[in-house]
Amino acid sequence: MIHARIVRQLSAYLDGELDPSVSRAVAAHLAECDACRHELAMLRQVKGLLERLPEVEPPQAVWHGLRARLAAEDRATVTILDTMRAAFRRPAVAAVAAMVVLLLVALPLVKGRIDRLQAADIGVDLYVREHALQSVVDPFVDRAYLGLLIGDANLALAGARRTPGEEP
Amino acid sequence: MAVAEARKRRGPSFVVRAAVACVLTVAAAGAVASAQSPKPLPSAADILRTMFAAPALVDYEGTKVISTVQGTRAETVTILEAYKRLGRLRLEFLSPESVSGRLIVDDGLSAWQYEPSLHLVIRGPSFVQGTAHPERATEVLRRYRVSVLGREAVIGRDTVVVALAPGEAGSNRRLWIDEATGVALRTEERDAGGEIVYVSYFSRVSYSLNLPPALFRFRQPAGAKMLNFYVSGDAVTSVNELQARAGKDIILPARLLNRFAFRDGRVARHGAFTAAAAAYTDGVGVVTVFQTPISRMAFPNVGGPVATRTGRARFLDVGYFRVLVWQSRGMNYAVLGNMPQAVLIAIADELAASR
Repeated sequence: MIHARIVRQLSAYLDGELDPSVSRAVAAHLAECDACRHELAMLRQVKGLLERLPEVEPPQAVWHGLRARLAAEDRATVTILDTMRAAFRRPAVAAVAAMVVLLLVALPLVKGRIDRLQAADIGVDLYVREHALQSVVDPFVDRAYLGLLIGDANLALAGARRTPGEEP
Repeated sequence: MAVAEARKRRGPSFVVRAAVACVLTVAAAGAVASAQSPKPLPSAADILRTMFAAPALVDYEGTKVISTVQGTRAETVTILEAYKRLGRLRLEFLSPESVSGRLIVDDGLSAWQYEPSLHLVIRGPSFVQGTAHPERATEVLRRYRVSVLGREAVIGRDTVVVALAPGEAGSNRRLWIDEATGVALRTEERDAGGEIVYVSYFSRVSYSLNLPPALFRFRQPAGAKMLNFYVSGDAVTSVNELQARAGKDIILPARLLNRFAFRDGRVARHGAFTAAAAAYTDGVGVVTVFQTPISRMAFPNVGGPVATRTGRARFLDVGYFRVLVWQSRGMNYAVLGNMPQAVLIAIADELAASR
């Protein structure tokens, strides 16, 4: 048994709380280890001092105060629980609570669906804009026409789509 | 003595007079001949090089008219366009009414768009490339059959007319390039049937050696609401990096149709919406493929239905660009480019097959 583990068990050894086999191992270690013998002697001394201390009764006021605080906490717990139980027994409150739970679950799903539809609405505008920006290197591309396409796509992405003016 | 006096009075001899007459006749004939013989046309490579060098050499301002045919619909837009080297642009939209008053100022780093009807400013990345790229002429000559058709006057300026027919994928184009400055004064794009689907031309242009820089500085109108739209994430130049950012579910071939090579990619974000964007190029045109999971985006109801091997697909013509969107195996796909519909469908089929 290693030294560190023996040190942790010295107090239990002193009180005779170890299994016989462990107790024998501690005793064998103590026979060889000065440090552990010193530690055991210190523990024995502390234990002796503690045994000699007189028992003191706490004043009655301490008990009264403690009991009063414990009773108050019990009452508070009961009041909150009772109020909640009473509230959920009302159909309207129960329905509202159910709706809140439903919303918390459904909101991400609804938002995902809205985002998906919005992406379909503006997706091609984003594609046109990005492609126009990539086409800057096309030697035949017309700068003014790129400006028109990018401008229209920007407007659509900003939520203000332009309706092209058709030739009569 | 009398004979000598008589000669002095008659002037130079007949021989001298004849020689002078001959010289004058030859000189006059030469002058007439040179006036009548046309200046030789520049080669296609030379005129394209002049065109691609122009953004670094020429400032201009003019009125431009753009007409696009988008399916059964046509739209004509008139714009005041001013350009300053290297890559600064100012666009003031005049008509139609739906776009009238829009102002776009691009200083080469950022672009500001002001919408007066909404008193709204939208700021985003620059979309002007102002550096010279004469080397692009080589790539264009490799990808297109280029022919110089002749010389024509456009708004009083001499232009060289160049026709470009795509080798594999692309649109038939015709350009009227200002011979002196390299600015394209007129551009036409035709569909496979020869019908013009896009035309852009200056109805007036003036060149300047130095337009005032203040014209290309945006001043926010008092009280205008400002939105910042920098929706693209940082670009990555490898397929693996984009896959790491956008997720393993996206398809990212290194090449499309064995012609367009992966150039770069990014993740575009706007609010809750995100899309992986991969840009491919054949050295001239750009194709962008977008991918978004269907859990994040419903199928966009744009354009008209179109038959592809991938199933449900829709096609939209936005003028200079075309858009094909389709759904397959839990993903929304979109491919955009300045190519005919058939090419975009071929790309969609190839992507579906590589899944």
